[in-house]
Amino acid sequence: MGDYVVFHDVAWHGIYAVYFFVIGISAALFFLSALSWFREEYRPLRTPAFYGSLVLLAVAGLMLIGDLSQPARFLNVLNPAYWHMTSPLVWGTILLVAFGVVSIWYFTTLGKGDSAGKLPAMIGALLAIAIPVYTGFDLAVHQHRPVWNSSLVPVLFLGLSLISGAAVATFLARGDPRLVAALRQIMLWGSGAVAIMVISLVITTGYGGSAEELTYAFMTSGTMGMTFIGLGLLAGTLLPLLVLAVPMGRQQTGLMAAAVLILIGGISLRYSILMGPQIVQTFFS
Amino acid sequence: MNEELRLSSIETRGVQGKKRYAMVIDTRRCIGCMACQVACKAEYDTPLGVNRTWVPYKVVGTYPNVKKHFLPRLCNHCDDPPCVRACPVDATYKVDDGGFVLQRYERCIGCRACMASCPYNARFMLPSHRTYTKINNVVDKCTFCFHRVTQGLVPACVQTCIGRSRVFGDLNDPNSEVSYLVTRNATQVLRPEQGTKPQVFYIGADRNQTEYGRDLYFRPDVMEEDRAAWSRNLKI
Repeated sequence: MGDYVVFHDVAWHGIYAVYFFVIGISAALFFLSALSWFREEYRPLRTPAFYGSLVLLAVAGLMLIGDLSQPARFLNVLNPAYWHMTSPLVWGTILLVAFGVVSIWYFTTLGKGDSAGKLPAMIGALLAIAIPVYTGFDLAVHQHRPVWNSSLVPVLFLGLSLISGAAVATFLARGDPRLVAALRQIMLWGSGAVAIMVISLVITTGYGGSAEELTYAFMTSGTMGMTFIGLGLLAGTLLPLLVLAVPMGRQQTGLMAAAVLILIGGISLRYSILMGPQIVQTFFS
Repeated sequence: MNEELRLSSIETRGVQGKKRYAMVIDTRRCIGCMACQVACKAEYDTPLGVNRTWVPYKVVGTYPNVKKHFLPRLCNHCDDPPCVRACPVDATYKVDDGGFVLQRYERCIGCRACMASCPYNARFMLPSHRTYTKINNVVDKCTFCFHRVTQGLVPACVQTCIGRSRVFGDLNDPNSEVSYLVTRNATQVLRPEQGTKPQVFYIGADRNQTEYGRDLYFRPDVMEEDRAAWSRNLKI
């Protein structure tokens, strides 16, 4: 006893996980709307999914700005003269601005014929893939953080984005049988991929060095363990995977239940992956 | 041979014609008086709850074989600083001649990417409530007392250290005291595996304090109460 330490704050608080969640859904909804130009079964989603994406993009942008401790200086990061290209936050800024511009362009083509929207749909879809990938790089580039510093994280965030978006789209599908079947496929295979990635991440972290081992212990026990393993992996990834795989998952009730579970899993996984390694780091003298 | 292995073009240790300031902390000479922490607070009006430099200590062993270990801490002014590459607006930068890692307060947007990237917890957010100095809501850190060093002085913590535990100087100058100490003593740096090339060198640092996250295993209840109170009162 008689020890003395100073305490440290985490860099990014929980609101950042909510941002990852919201922007992931926004990007995936745009992707599904864009898909409607190429796959007929997604046609009923074109307009509602796009509007959902646009609203969530605005919400996510405001959240990002609000999370800055100098919100008025968000203009600095829009100034190319200040850009420091080694930072993924700059990549994110460019992607988000481009995504916003393409979304407006896409909006102007919605009421026109089939050929008009294909180009903005394609460009927007590519940006929609890049956005969750950049959010993964936001974390992955920090070389000293266990869990974060993994090439799996950007891919995991892409997978989480896709299934979270598909889960929201399930509620916009209004029971259209072909669309619902297509969304079920996305959620089923996407959840499977997410489960494999999360399990891989857990195992490689557990077999890592002292920092990884400590982070593994922290993230798999106590409250954080309940969030990460309980809500994120078991209830939010493996359970919906099971529900979707059995006949119940083909029914509307089962699909809705799986969608809700996927959304709970999506926010829980992002929260625990964001916070776990940071809290452990605050205990470094 | 004593050539430096430089992996990144930003690194300046061992580069001829450039200064590379560094600090050597001889923990055997530290008496834990905290004068360095106080001098730093006075120099910069650092608010309560956050520190540019701090001196954690730990009592290890079982009576009668006990020892109180001090580990003065500050920004390591890394030769390859991860905070510089993490900053989206170039608010954090490294001074090429001298190696100081500094902060442009007027440009910082408060995204805290630099805090996330620092393996040493050396960066902190300045709270919104400060009485005298009106630099608020931006990230701050130790500057190696850039304003003093460029005037030919040593950093405030070095100036005030009564045990001469802290020694400051140009590591690229083979005749400097820091070069002598680093050459003639077994030294350690914090978390060398991160490739940040820290420029704060310790003599006699104890592993109870240098190892990552060791405190997480040993969390005295009384300290957890303090930690909770600190979190409650930290208004950013």
